[in-house]
Amino acid sequence: MGQFAQFAINGLMSGAIYALIAIGIVSVFKATKVVNFAHGYLIMFGAYFYFTFSVVVPGQEWAPAWLASWQPDWLLAAKEGLPMFSPMGAVLDWVANLPRILFGLVGALFANAVVGLIIERTLMRPLMGQSIFAMIMVTVGLISIMSGSAQLIWTADAANVPYIAPNMPIRFELFGTMIFIFGTDLVNMVIALLLFGGIVAFVRFTKGGIAIRATAEDSSTAYSMGISVPKVFSRAWVLASTTGAIAGAILATRNGISPSLGLFGFSVLAIVLMGGLDSYIGVFIAAMSVGVMEAMTQWQLGGDWAEIVPYVAVLVVLIWRPHGLMGQKEVERI
Amino acid sequence: MINANLKSTYAADERVLNNRYKQMFVYGMALLLAVFGAFANDYLILIACKMGLLLIAVVGINVLTGYTGLVSLGHAAFVAIGAYSVTIFQNVTAGFIPDPVMIFFAVPFAVFLAAFIGVIVGLPSLRVKGLYLAVATLAANFIVIFLIEQDLFAPWTGGMVGLTTNAPNIFGWILDSKREMFGLIALVGFVTLLMAQNLIRTRIGRAFIAIRDRDYSAEILGISLLKYKLMSFSISAAFCGLSGALFAYFYARILPEQFELDLSLELVAALIVGGMGRTMGPVFGVIIIVMVPEVIKITFGALTGDAAGMAQLRAPLQEIAFGALLVFFLLKEPLGINQIVDRMLRAANRWPFARG
Repeated sequence: MGQFAQFAINGLMSGAIYALIAIGIVSVFKATKVVNFAHGYLIMFGAYFYFTFSVVVPGQEWAPAWLASWQPDWLLAAKEGLPMFSPMGAVLDWVANLPRILFGLVGALFANAVVGLIIERTLMRPLMGQSIFAMIMVTVGLISIMSGSAQLIWTADAANVPYIAPNMPIRFELFGTMIFIFGTDLVNMVIALLLFGGIVAFVRFTKGGIAIRATAEDSSTAYSMGISVPKVFSRAWVLASTTGAIAGAILATRNGISPSLGLFGFSVLAIVLMGGLDSYIGVFIAAMSVGVMEAMTQWQLGGDWAEIVPYVAVLVVLIWRPHGLMGQKEVERI
Repeated sequence: MINANLKSTYAADERVLNNRYKQMFVYGMALLLAVFGAFANDYLILIACKMGLLLIAVVGINVLTGYTGLVSLGHAAFVAIGAYSVTIFQNVTAGFIPDPVMIFFAVPFAVFLAAFIGVIVGLPSLRVKGLYLAVATLAANFIVIFLIEQDLFAPWTGGMVGLTTNAPNIFGWILDSKREMFGLIALVGFVTLLMAQNLIRTRIGRAFIAIRDRDYSAEILGISLLKYKLMSFSISAAFCGLSGALFAYFYARILPEQFELDLSLELVAALIVGGMGRTMGPVFGVIIIVMVPEVIKITFGALTGDAAGMAQLRAPLQEIAFGALLVFFLLKEPLGINQIVDRMLRAANRWPFARG
């Protein structure tokens, strides 16, 4: 039972990150009816930007020293005499890294937003009103373009990136077994959940969110009611690429940075379809359950079986409910 | 525009190549291929073989995407099934079936197995459409490759390290050179194209096109969606399986990573670039998709003089060019090269009068 709880908690933590990634795909789909097959590569760009702004830039000669490692007097004084691997030491290490973490996150957010805007402006907007098939295939072409350019731009091997939160181990007892989690994973989960909730609230309550929903409902009516549909499109892409940047930064600290990060997007795509493309709640449920199922598979069958869990799950769900768990059924005219 | 195209019997109207231009084109191409096979140098033969292998699979995906309108991003799985099943069949039955006739059992086995699995993968197509189907097939591709890589099946599939394949043996004639293989691939590719051209002429092909244009309307007209969608899946999977079988014969070794998502995307990209739902579309598409990386390789080699440091830039450049090609055609010429060729032929035909 204790083992079960440990793996369930691990699963929930990775499920939250799935949900954070999924929100980008759902937002773009809601606004533009395009499913972004290249979202995983947008995340990869986010991860590489985080690496650039938190490791490469602070490492340059012209960068101020406090950016790479912040060492105020009180920090040095507090570090004095602490034993190795103590929780306090982890927090202090994190404080020393804080400037470059923040710089990395902000830089990744902006750079990825620019990438998202460029994609929207140059590739998606000319196809507005064209067939959905063409738009989806453009995102498929984007996969190759983005993965090729990432290899061109970031040729050097990526070093370790700083954790977003203090990485101290947390132990507590549940059902008579010690549960062991890393502090940074917990904080990542909290960040992901907060962002998810924030974006759902944004779409539900703010003016911009209502514009997105109106466009999703019927873009030509939204246009005639004075909503600038192209602006909604670019807003959705910025939303997707910024959440992608944060997800990328988190993934970079968890799994390391490599071009294979892009493949992660496909399993999230499966999760999104499983939950229903236009339902935030359904996608959240799907992300969490796939996260837990993956952890359970890892526990029972071993690590490599976990990687096909999302794909098997999506096939099962699609045969049972063709529009996902909570997706809206399409009504078609003949 | 074809004018003065008189047909005096129904039989003449129903022929696969229903006018003189098409007949002359086919005979001319057959002659050209024979001359090419006899005189081209080894490098050209190798490129042509790659094109032929890809062509057979793209013809298959054309049946599904171009004619029936079902999107698949997982057809590399069927190529994998073809390649693996032909090799495993040969290895397992090596004692029972004499080598000279092995190919006549192994290849049909591979094709039927691929078609059968195509039906299974096609089952979701009855309930989901478009994008959902694309992701369902994508998922199927990941699962098939994953199963091939499993240790559980490694005694047959070789797991991650792949399988050594055999050279084909036709009545004792072992096709162990690339040039002999080119003959086989060209023949099969030619027949595949003619079969595709024949298919759209028949009741089945017209049912496919009706489903593509509006599936509900097709159902109202009495076309069984269950039957024809699954048939389309199995035909396209069979072509891909055939391509995979030849793939296994052509290369000395097959690896699971050769049949991953990249190949699926390449198949779809070749179809879009060439022109969907046209017989010659796959041909044009495959020529472009295979030639562009080669041209980049050659020009890049000439520009940098094969400097070691620059060589690692080549692969990403090829990848970008591949994506850019797909995006360019979708944005500028969604009907593919076939449409450009049509336009040119029409202009030539009407010359010196109205063009375009």
